Amino acid sequence: MSTVYLMFIWAILGLLVGVLACAAHLQPTTWSRYRWLWLLVLGLGAALLGGLLGFWLFGRIFASATALWIAVLATCAPGLYSALRTRLGQRGSDPA
Amino acid sequence: MGDTNLNINAGTQTSLSSAPATRTRGRRGRRVGRWLARLALTLCFLAGFYYSVVPSGRAAARALIVLPGVLTATQPTWQAPVVESITHTQTTLPSASGTVFLDVYAPSGTVPPVPGSREGMLIITGVGDNRKEPQVVNFSQTLARAGIVVMDVTTPALLADRVDAGDRDAVVQAFQVLQHWPAVGATRVGMFGISAGGALICLAAADPRIRDQVAFVSLLGSYYDTTTLLETLGRRAQVVDGKSQPWQPVAVPLQALSSTIAPALPGNDGSVLVNAFASYPAGALTPDQLAQLAPESAAIYHLLAGDQPTRVAANLAALSPTLRKLLANLSPSTVVNELRAPVYLLHDRNDQFVPVTESRAFATALTRLHHPYDFAEFGIFQHADVRAGLGLSQLLGDGQSLFRLISEVTQAGS
Repeated sequence: MSTVYLMFIWAILGLLVGVLACAAHLQPTTWSRYRWLWLLVLGLGAALLGGLLGFWLFGRIFASATALWIAVLATCAPGLYSALRTRLGQRGSDPA
Repeated sequence: MGDTNLNINAGTQTSLSSAPATRTRGRRGRRVGRWLARLALTLCFLAGFYYSVVPSGRAAARALIVLPGVLTATQPTWQAPVVESITHTQTTLPSASGTVFLDVYAPSGTVPPVPGSREGMLIITGVGDNRKEPQVVNFSQTLARAGIVVMDVTTPALLADRVDAGDRDAVVQAFQVLQHWPAVGATRVGMFGISAGGALICLAAADPRIRDQVAFVSLLGSYYDTTTLLETLGRRAQVVDGKSQPWQPVAVPLQALSSTIAPALPGNDGSVLVNAFASYPAGALTPDQLAQLAPESAAIYHLLAGDQPTRVAANLAALSPTLRKLLANLSPSTVVNELRAPVYLLHDRNDQFVPVTESRAFATALTRLHHPYDFAEFGIFQHADVRAGLGLSQLLGDGQSLFRLISEVTQAGS
């Protein structure tokens, strides 16, 4: 039963990270409608997967901390990738 | 009329210019919010990574789990989903000084691949049978829930309220058993001594068979030197920063010392001394009874009773060579040069069992030897138990030092 509670904690963490990512405008501009929803789903999924990975790799105590940083990484990655591509594209097309 | 027009125009101009200003403010507010959210995400990432991947962070995470359990003397219910479930095993070990009793509290889950094995902690809680003491059980369980395999060790001498230097072998054996306990890393085993248990821990940690394998030595409310302890007891005063301060001990250390010293006294003096301190001060010896004791027995009596504070030096000088040897053999000061593991000292600054000056003397000796150590004095403990009804400021102040020391101790398994 306590493992279910633990997964619930990871889910809450993932959703919170998703909300923060929305507030931080980290969704790529190429995403169309419901961008905020995708970020929430991404945060939730990444936190659950990160929690399971942390549980297996580091043990129960460190699973929630692992869920947290993996959720942040997963929600930030698309936006950062998109921003990086845009910047590199601009630099490539710069005549100077 | 002209004035009115001017006013109307002015009003129109104001309303027209306020719209972009509000929009600019709103845009600025959104931008600030965006950057705050980004900052929060960065902090979440760094904290999560530090507390799960970096060894010092993992030790801090364990300390964060252990600390509330230690301070509240119970397991907080909110921790239940986060911490490990545990098992309790009782076993015995034959040794030269008799049967050693081992209570092992261990996490029941499998060992995670990182760091690959668990930390082990051998604990001696002092004289008497403390195996069912709620604070001892809670402390052991709290550590086990944080992923540490805890072995509470007690010996027949400790159960009889005595400290016996002969138990050193038993502690070394128990340490080796813990090193080979399932899931425990042989190089991740440390020792924790509470009160008189600290002396045995030091004697064992200095033993050539294991001294290079002991990950740490941690002592709470322990003594450093039996002679200086007797001196403080005899004077009923402790010397702090060069000034003598009154110090009144409770009965427990007098009983433990009389039981420990009794076998080395001539004739029937030992049992007379033990009986006197079993119900002290009611059992104080009369002048006639004192006259029947051997000079060294009378000297020990006066030192423990504190009834001759001005004759402490003379009473110490009256001790026989056998007694002096016994006191030296029971003193961590005798083996401090042979310790290899880092030492963590904790002491209640108003301790009435063992004066805080003992840990200060230990810290001074370790400084002189350039031996790695950490020392913290607390107001939240009453000797080895957490005081009831602590204020928030005291909890925060001492909690910080306790957190630091627990982090250092849990570093071995992180």
